[in-house]
Amino acid sequence: MNLHIRIEAARNALSALGRQPISTAMTILALAIVIALPVGLFTVLTNMENLLGSWRNQAQISLFLHKDASPQAINRLQHTLAKTEGVVGVRYVSADAALAEFQKHSGMVAAIRTLGENPLPASFVVQLDPLRYPPSALQQLISHWAQDPAVATAQSDLHWVARLQAILALGQRAALILAVLLALGAVLVMGNTIRLHIAQRRDEIDVASLVGATRAFIRRPFLYQGLLQGAVAGLVAWGIVVAAFYWLQGPVDRVSALYGTQFSLVALTPEQGAVLVIASALLGWLGSLLAVGRHLDHTFA
Amino acid sequence: MIRLINVTKHYPGRHHVLREVNLHLRKGEMALLTGPSGAGKSTLLKMLLRLEGVSNGTLMVNGVDLATLKRRHIPAYRRRIGVVFQDHKLLMDRDLFANVALTLQVAGLPARQVQSRVRAALDKVGLGDRLREYPATLSGGEQQRVGIARAIVHTPEILLADEPTGNLDPRLSNEILDLFRDFHHHGTTVLIATHDQGQIDRLGLPVLRLEGGRLHTPEDYQ
Repeated sequence: MNLHIRIEAARNALSALGRQPISTAMTILALAIVIALPVGLFTVLTNMENLLGSWRNQAQISLFLHKDASPQAINRLQHTLAKTEGVVGVRYVSADAALAEFQKHSGMVAAIRTLGENPLPASFVVQLDPLRYPPSALQQLISHWAQDPAVATAQSDLHWVARLQAILALGQRAALILAVLLALGAVLVMGNTIRLHIAQRRDEIDVASLVGATRAFIRRPFLYQGLLQGAVAGLVAWGIVVAAFYWLQGPVDRVSALYGTQFSLVALTPEQGAVLVIASALLGWLGSLLAVGRHLDHTFA
Repeated sequence: MIRLINVTKHYPGRHHVLREVNLHLRKGEMALLTGPSGAGKSTLLKMLLRLEGVSNGTLMVNGVDLATLKRRHIPAYRRRIGVVFQDHKLLMDRDLFANVALTLQVAGLPARQVQSRVRAALDKVGLGDRLREYPATLSGGEQQRVGIARAIVHTPEILLADEPTGNLDPRLSNEILDLFRDFHHHGTTVLIATHDQGQIDRLGLPVLRLEGGRLHTPEDYQ
């Protein structure tokens, strides 16, 4: 295929778009909004996952040990815990250390002295990566450790993480469904736009066909139009998502300050943005291909 | 060059447009196709352009049976033919250069060749100095000249014209038909559909007359 034919087709496509700037801008904006919705939702979910990940050190399980657990049993348990996948840290808290900590934080020194002996057991504080296990597996893991002969009780604060994880999984599934539906919508929007362009340029198509234009020759400018509009819509969608996240950062800062933490929203990385533009261009191209294909089936029948 | 053997054309549920038509138009010949409105002149030209199929019989152009011509080969076949329409079929939003260049662009010619050949074709029809004008600024006769330039710019083997002088006054009609004669003298096979009796008498060319679906031709065109 000669390059000059493609260049001419691209020029033809640009000139067709330039002849109707308002209609072109409206199509691009409509496509951009359709694309920005699922992309925005996916990005929100990704940020929530990041947030969950940043809390991983706070997701911990306390394994309280039997008072008569032997040092060998405690060592063996510590070794097992450290080797378990998803465990990011294991800290042994002796009975004395627990008592010291309790006295420090509770201020109930006198009350404890009346007991005569240290009532607190030794324990392991296990820090887990909450994203490593699905909620059911996490529960199984805790139950498994609770059955160790050295362990008296297992106490977990991971239930909220499990719930959040389940909600995120649901959100991801919903976002995927939305993305598929809206991608179909984008294809239809582009198909309809190209159908209108075809109707406006019907004379040109008919004349080109009479003087010996191939299907590919007639189709090419329309495909380039779809590709170009899709790519620009992808860029605009990227801009919409970035602007929305920039706008949301202020409220997010205020909320995270209330929790004594700091969290920065991440809109889209350059790589993700590039994928968005390419995917959007392909959607535009696909919409054009379907519309122009149907028309040419009639022309070349 | 163009050969029709017992060609019949009918549309479902309608009468026969052409009945067992026989014709042999040789390379470099020029003939007029006449007949009243609705006689089937345009249908015959459409069949030669492979816009319509043959119901029965054989239609061959340059040894190719159009009934067996594959769909993907139709564009290449049409590029060997030039066609002129009564209504010119010019693209009103393109200048004269772009209108004529289309024929060469579909054939994939490089821009430099397109440039020189379009200029030459428009020169030939007397519009070489108006390349950047738009069809709407031209008279009917001038528009038809652009249509002719578009039809001959790729030096086709066959030139078909469907009532090319239908909307023109006698003086302009003479000019247009003289252009066709000029191309014929350069070896192009020309078939012109017309019902203008004045022109038919003036040109003194072989006349192929369609009437009631039958084609009446001089004996050596059978």
